[in-house]
Amino acid sequence: MLRYTIKRVLGMIPTLIIVVTFVFFFVRLIPGDPARLVAGEQATLQDVEAVRERLGLNQPIYIQYIKYILGLLQGDLGTSLRTSRPVLTEVASRYWNTMALTIASLIWSTIVGVILGVWSGKNRGKWQDFTGMTLAVSGISLPNFWIGFLLIMLFSVKLRWFPTTGAGSWRNLVLPAITLGTSIAAIIARFTRSSIVEVMKEDYIRTARAKGLKEKTVIWAHAFRNSMISVVTVVGLQFGFLLGGSVVTEAVFAYPGLGQLLIESVNYRDYPAIQSLILIFSLQFIVINLIVDILYAALNPEIKLS
Amino acid sequence: MARKKTSGNAEMNERTDIKTPVSEMIRKFKRQKNAVVALFFIIFLVIIALVGEYLVPYGINEYDYSAILQGPSMAHWFGTDEFGRDLFSRIVCGTRISLAVGLSAVTVGAICGTVLGLLGGYYGGFVDSVIMRICDTLFAFPGIILAIAIVAILGSGLGNVVIAVAVFSTPTFARLVRSRTLALKHSVFVQAARNLGASDARILFRHILPGAVPEIIVQFTMSVGSSILTASSLSFLGMGAQPPTPEWGLLLSNGRNYMLTSLHATLFPGLAIFLTVLSFNILGDGLRDALDPKLTD
Repeated sequence: MLRYTIKRVLGMIPTLIIVVTFVFFFVRLIPGDPARLVAGEQATLQDVEAVRERLGLNQPIYIQYIKYILGLLQGDLGTSLRTSRPVLTEVASRYWNTMALTIASLIWSTIVGVILGVWSGKNRGKWQDFTGMTLAVSGISLPNFWIGFLLIMLFSVKLRWFPTTGAGSWRNLVLPAITLGTSIAAIIARFTRSSIVEVMKEDYIRTARAKGLKEKTVIWAHAFRNSMISVVTVVGLQFGFLLGGSVVTEAVFAYPGLGQLLIESVNYRDYPAIQSLILIFSLQFIVINLIVDILYAALNPEIKLS
Repeated sequence: MARKKTSGNAEMNERTDIKTPVSEMIRKFKRQKNAVVALFFIIFLVIIALVGEYLVPYGINEYDYSAILQGPSMAHWFGTDEFGRDLFSRIVCGTRISLAVGLSAVTVGAICGTVLGLLGGYYGGFVDSVIMRICDTLFAFPGIILAIAIVAILGSGLGNVVIAVAVFSTPTFARLVRSRTLALKHSVFVQAARNLGASDARILFRHILPGAVPEIIVQFTMSVGSSILTASSLSFLGMGAQPPTPEWGLLLSNGRNYMLTSLHATLFPGLAIFLTVLSFNILGDGLRDALDPKLTD
């Protein structure tokens, strides 16, 4: 197990290097002179040169690259053009908001998704299956900004149960979490269903029934337990997608998280911030995928770890 | 005479009995009623996209300041927006934009991915490692984040959204086609073609590619739905279509300013996106089930 983990962690390094390199060249891919972009349209030639000096853009590209990597290793993500504060400070103040939103979404969507999936899977071909899977395919087809608006209209404006925007208390979290989790719940339901359908064909299910066990025990203690492995994988992978998917949801609810910071930075052309945020989103994604892989290997005795 | 007729029949039966992967798929697909309905709905949408512009009661930029933000009525089925423009006409005309963006982005992604997958799977070695490493890197970005990054580089606009969506749908196709190519390249018919002196290009495109076509079709359908969602999300965030384009995501984003008084301005564009994406997803599900050997007969 340890060998497998080490191998997977080492295998991640080339991808990390490519991602960091991509992000480094990101600013340099933008058409035009980056120093001019940073200094602004109205800047004089001297201002532009001063910016070039300050950002180190007059140095050879490989020195810039090495400096960037060394800076990253020390946690230096650069300075935001919009607020003139270190990007790391900007990110840190919003990071936990996005994390809270993601975790809240994942918890409810896993519970609902698993229940819906098991309910559909054990009643394969009946009306329950049809209802469950119609809900699920609708869930993955709904634009989440639209769900957000409809929820705001119903629960904030009409019923006044929850605030429309902001963050800070659990009441701020409810509507964004429902919005963000809907498609994930649908995906989890679809996977759980197909996994249950597969497991229900197995001999040990027939044995459990032949022993005269209650249907509930057969489903939850035998079928569901054995379909857990694939469900855990899907839930883990969705966690990574949720972190990225929060962008749209945060925009709808003006929720102060990383996604909203990214949108603000794109609108302001705050390149150091965009660069760092893209790096953070993809690093999280890579690390989560790695953890899911290792978890999967640990859970599944059939996988050969060599 | 009679004998000739029977032999003719036998010949015909033989011909209809030839099972290619595609004909098998069509036969099984016809049994999926939901998916057939979804297919007809998509055909309907395509017709609307082509001719809708000539059928709508109002022009997409026909301002009417005496009818601002009106609710649905006989004159304006979906109500009007903040300039008194007819929402029904704008949504109908927006069909062309959403379908064009979704279809063109995924077509570009599918073609690039297929070529990369064929090359990587067939030649292996260095070519394969490079292609797969590029795919791994693209997979390391959550879809919408990659799209936002690309739009941040290229600037906002629908054309750049198409590029962004095409880039992130490429690796999915590349992996899919690569694994089919790996499976097929040692098959007897590919070996036979090679022994007969067929060129690599002929083997790849005439012998291996047809074997991957069903999977490509399923992935294509699924990707169109999610691409339409991504493209409308980008327009919603202000990075895609720009006003006064009647793009659905943009209409919805516009409507949110008047959400408290005029729910119809967000309700109908959202419904249009939802139904379109839903029909592509149901069609994709049906095609996938038609392809799955475990679910047959």
